[in-house]
Amino acid sequence: MRRISTLPVVAVGLIAFVALVVPWLGLPDPVQIDVPHRLSGPSWDHWLGRDEVGRDILSRLLWGARSSLTVALFSAVIACLVGTTLGVLGGFLGGLVDLATIRLADIVLCFPPLLLALLVVTLLGPGASTLIPVIALVYMPGFVRVAYAGVLGVRHLEYVEAQRALGVGSARIMLRTVLPNISGPVMVQFSLAMASAVVLESGLSFLGLGVVPPAPSWGLMIGAARSTMAQTPLPLLWPCIALTITVLSMNALCDAVRSAVDPHGAVPRRLRWLLPPLPSGLSLAAKGASLAVRDLEVAIDAKDAEVRPVRGVSWEVAPGETLAIVGESGSGKSLSGLAVLGLLPLVARPAAGAALFEGRDLLRLDEPALRHLRGADIAMVFQDPMSSLNPVHRIGTQITEAILVHRSVSRRRAWQEAVELLAKVGIPDAARRARSFPHELSGGMRQRAMIAMAIANRPKLLIADEPTTALDVTIQAQVLELLAGLKAEEGMGVVFITHALPVVAEIADRVMVMYAGEVVEQGPVAEIFARPLHPYTAALLRSAPPEDGSLPQAIPGTVPLPQHLPPGCAFAPRCAHRQAACEATHPALEDVGPDRVTRCLRWRDMSATAQTQQVTA
Amino acid sequence: MWVVRRIGVAFVLVWIVASIVFLAIRMVPGDPAEIMLSQGGVSPDAAIIAELRDQLGLEKSIWVQYRDSMRGMLKGDLGVSLTDQASVARQVFTRLPRTLELIGFAALFSVLFGVPLGVLAALRRGGWLDRVVMALSGLSLAVPVFVVGTLLVLVVAQWLEWLPAGGYTPLARDPARHFAQMVMPALTIASSLAPVLLSMTRASVIDVITRDHVRTARAKGASPPRVVLRHVLRNALMPVVTVLALHLGTLLGGTVLVEYVFNYPGLSGLLVDSVNARDYPMVQGVVLVISVLFVALNLAMDLIYGVLDPRVRRA
Amino acid sequence: MTPLIEAVKLSKQFGGGGVFGFGARPVRALNEVTLSIARGEAVGLVGESGSGKSTMGRVMLGLTPASSGSVRLDGVDIASLRGKETRRLRQRMQLVFQDPYSSLDPRRRISAQIADGLLAHGLARPADIADRVAALLAQVGLPPAHAQRYPHEFSGGQRQRIGIARALAVDPEFLVADEPVSALDVSVQAQVLTLLADLRARLGLAMLFISHDLPVVRSLCDRVVVLYLGRVMEEGPAAEVFRHPRHPYTRALLSAAPNIDPGRRRRRILLRGDPPSPANPPSGCVFRTRCAWAVEACATAVPALAEAVRGHRVACLRVEDAALLGDPDINGPV
Repeated sequence: MRRISTLPVVAVGLIAFVALVVPWLGLPDPVQIDVPHRLSGPSWDHWLGRDEVGRDILSRLLWGARSSLTVALFSAVIACLVGTTLGVLGGFLGGLVDLATIRLADIVLCFPPLLLALLVVTLLGPGASTLIPVIALVYMPGFVRVAYAGVLGVRHLEYVEAQRALGVGSARIMLRTVLPNISGPVMVQFSLAMASAVVLESGLSFLGLGVVPPAPSWGLMIGAARSTMAQTPLPLLWPCIALTITVLSMNALCDAVRSAVDPHGAVPRRLRWLLPPLPSGLSLAAKGASLAVRDLEVAIDAKDAEVRPVRGVSWEVAPGETLAIVGESGSGKSLSGLAVLGLLPLVARPAAGAALFEGRDLLRLDEPALRHLRGADIAMVFQDPMSSLNPVHRIGTQITEAILVHRSVSRRRAWQEAVELLAKVGIPDAARRARSFPHELSGGMRQRAMIAMAIANRPKLLIADEPTTALDVTIQAQVLELLAGLKAEEGMGVVFITHALPVVAEIADRVMVMYAGEVVEQGPVAEIFARPLHPYTAALLRSAPPEDGSLPQAIPGTVPLPQHLPPGCAFAPRCAHRQAACEATHPALEDVGPDRVTRCLRWRDMSATAQTQQVTA
Repeated sequence: MWVVRRIGVAFVLVWIVASIVFLAIRMVPGDPAEIMLSQGGVSPDAAIIAELRDQLGLEKSIWVQYRDSMRGMLKGDLGVSLTDQASVARQVFTRLPRTLELIGFAALFSVLFGVPLGVLAALRRGGWLDRVVMALSGLSLAVPVFVVGTLLVLVVAQWLEWLPAGGYTPLARDPARHFAQMVMPALTIASSLAPVLLSMTRASVIDVITRDHVRTARAKGASPPRVVLRHVLRNALMPVVTVLALHLGTLLGGTVLVEYVFNYPGLSGLLVDSVNARDYPMVQGVVLVISVLFVALNLAMDLIYGVLDPRVRRA
Repeated sequence: MTPLIEAVKLSKQFGGGGVFGFGARPVRALNEVTLSIARGEAVGLVGESGSGKSTMGRVMLGLTPASSGSVRLDGVDIASLRGKETRRLRQRMQLVFQDPYSSLDPRRRISAQIADGLLAHGLARPADIADRVAALLAQVGLPPAHAQRYPHEFSGGQRQRIGIARALAVDPEFLVADEPVSALDVSVQAQVLTLLADLRARLGLAMLFISHDLPVVRSLCDRVVVLYLGRVMEEGPAAEVFRHPRHPYTRALLSAAPNIDPGRRRRRILLRGDPPSPANPPSGCVFRTRCAWAVEACATAVPALAEAVRGHRVACLRVEDAALLGDPDINGPV
């Protein structure tokens, strides 16, 4: 939970304090009638004037605060205690208790609150002793629901399951784990209940069915002042203002409690980022490549500082070639791919570099021009097909949208094409499937549908961000075959982002290995796997279980966060070959052969070791 | 089919509500007939009490009373008013359309104001427009509905004299005045509903905009208006529909205050009058009808939700 | 040797019933699965999504009741235990979860979470708890000084180790690891696998290692059981099943796994279509809808798990059929 903002707390606190100390403020008697002086305006004795039977308005205002807040507080507390207990018991014990509490809450909710209050008041007569229980009853279901939902949500959490597996008793789990977890939503509900209770009480008093006169209440004062408002509006306005300010403060408190309990991330700025001008000498024609990325840097504006999860990354893809970008979490591989198409999340932005495509720099292109390319010349496939497809549109519609956005063809023609595409990616019964919704398809089919959508306009380049990570192994094999086939047929360039080296070996021509936001090695797949020239690549190759059934070799330590990069080589702390020089200087990328680069000071030593190993094998 | 199941549940709820209302009246301590007749502080004649008891059917066993009452309700007979011996049902159903009309306009205003502003605020999140809209919305929400109404009467009707202060004219007799009299009450109700819709819409749009399928839509090259309309709104509006339904139900009770302030002879006004007069059959009838409406409204919204979100249909 | 724990014809069904007959169709997560694990033995349970492997783990631990069949610990049916005996059960068998981020309570210090088991079973006096926790942390390779930290201060791999420490606290004899490394980075997976192997050797733990990743299972386990749609397809010594898979599903599974070394790649056997829904399984052999070798007989009879070679059992009507063996074993003797 985060800190709560102070202003609403102060405001409500002040009001509550005033209400508390009213008896000691030496105010005139709030029920003292003085008809001859009725409706007199403000004066020294009576700062706010007098009401329609001569009572002091300020005094009634402050005493009214006391009665309204008291009723509201007691009602909210009772509703909270009873409601939360019922909800927790129902959620935790299940069965009959569950049914009873939830159904009860539903029935109470069938009555609009004011109505329920009116009904009870009719039967039992007005007054605070009736008001408090009935208002408590009205807001109880809210607590029951919140507590119930909270308990249900927590019950299935793995750490609760772990405690059950350990044999920890139910009561203990409930107290230690469940209650602290629902405390947030319950607090939000409490503040809501209090604010609503104040309004409900004033409404009832306004109708003459709440607090019994002559005891003061704001609602009562407003109701009474109505009859004379044509003559003097002031007696009406004072209680209106008091009530409004109180409710406003309480609502603000509700919002503050809600944000403290459930904070959202920083509000990202939405300006279009302005990159520094391209360095001179950078030829806009990337020789032979479809896409050439140069020195890309992505920045994220964190609270205090700027963090660069992608630094100085350069790569190229030629038509018909597959480049794999390999890295673990924190390597920056996904961000590199998203940056090219301008699809970074709002908190991130490209900070430097260029992405050259057909003579233009994608990073400096204006949005309409970039949109023109997205889904047409350059397409993207994402990791999770369930969340990446719109759940309320049919598959066929989503594919035709991709077509219609870029080409002017008839709807019918576009639909036909969509069906053909679905068949092409291996979805059986394509015409019928096109009318399905995403949730009606399996994971593998959804991913194929996404691929169909991506190739609808015959892109020159396909960027696939971990497209098979969420799929079963056998389905993954199918999808990889599909991609290989499409690539061969269409001559598409493919950028395949993944964390799995074996997948890279199967489908890629060239590979780029990333670690902690930088490129550490790059070159043809066969060469790199046979002769890795960076310790990280070598270690990664060894961390897959070998064929002979022995255990894989671990890399000690963890990937550093971009905020806490070590001086020198980012991999040094975990590297078995590190030397003093590695930790002192940050190595630059070196050309170690035709189309091969590595970022290691000791690559020659690695090369030598590899050769000796090959000789003895 | 899930539709049938939902409707079934609604019927059960209504029956439970009716039973509770029935029981509530009979749970009051003392003899109901005597209490009803002694409101004026005068001890009633035993013969009159007996007549009332007979009329209310209090001589029969509780089960018979219950059965008669339920059967009556199914037939549409809600008993007879104590104040003027007129049929409760007739009064209720004369006034019901007026209240519904009022709520309809209020909902319309709320949606027209709340939803587009909410969408705009979400798209310009963090900017000055967002902050202004949210501040105004917060203020509108904080001012209780009867305060808004009273102040509107003061300012618009009494000071500026733009609109009549209240009352009701049937549509057939004078359409212009009919609508003129409805503007302020509807706006008053909207003042508490529009902010809720606005902030719900805003929160929902902000949530949906960060979802993966919106990113996919952008990756397809769709233009921002298209992304917002086809991909964001349809998904974002579903929770808003739910909230609208929830609050319309609450409004059914909330019109009490507004009708009182504007002297609008709707259902809620009838309720307050009969509460003050301790006219139990009338109170029972009105509460029952309103509760039934409430349940029906929730049901309608559930069904609409099913249309909007195909995933629900399967469940 | 009597097995430490065995599942006998275990079936588990979810859903079904419902009001007014409108209920959802029941889903059979497990269908007559028989499996036994000896003391100190590590058995790998392999399957893809919908295979029922996670359910199997939980039913064996008694966290979810079986619909039919039984689970026996040292010959005693765990469903027949009552009260204190059930608690004792919890001490002898433990679970390690898949997701290191949701398996620890974010609001409590890790020392408290590791100590939960110790306190629940009265295994240590309050004064000794701190020492026990420190020893456990050391055992899993974490600095004991970090005991007072909160979960969010640790990385995924470290959290997983904490989960293991928590499970070890009660001195269990049997550990179920439900995809313990799937949510971790590749370089970290090896760390946790090495730890598990090490602990197993030192403490003599019996283990059920649930995973979808065959190569990982092979590196850690003695035996492997292949599950598909709630039924056992193949079962045998890990190395043997790997080198000579006999069931068409196992063969497809192994061939589908991408391999770094092109020389060692198997000819890919692609499965047709998608896995059927567990709510609507095919008749006879559940795999027949995707099997390239299916014949008519496969639809009528559920193939029994029969021994093909010593210790290596296969549930397939055509296992003897020479045609199935197809290409020679390309993995050859090492």
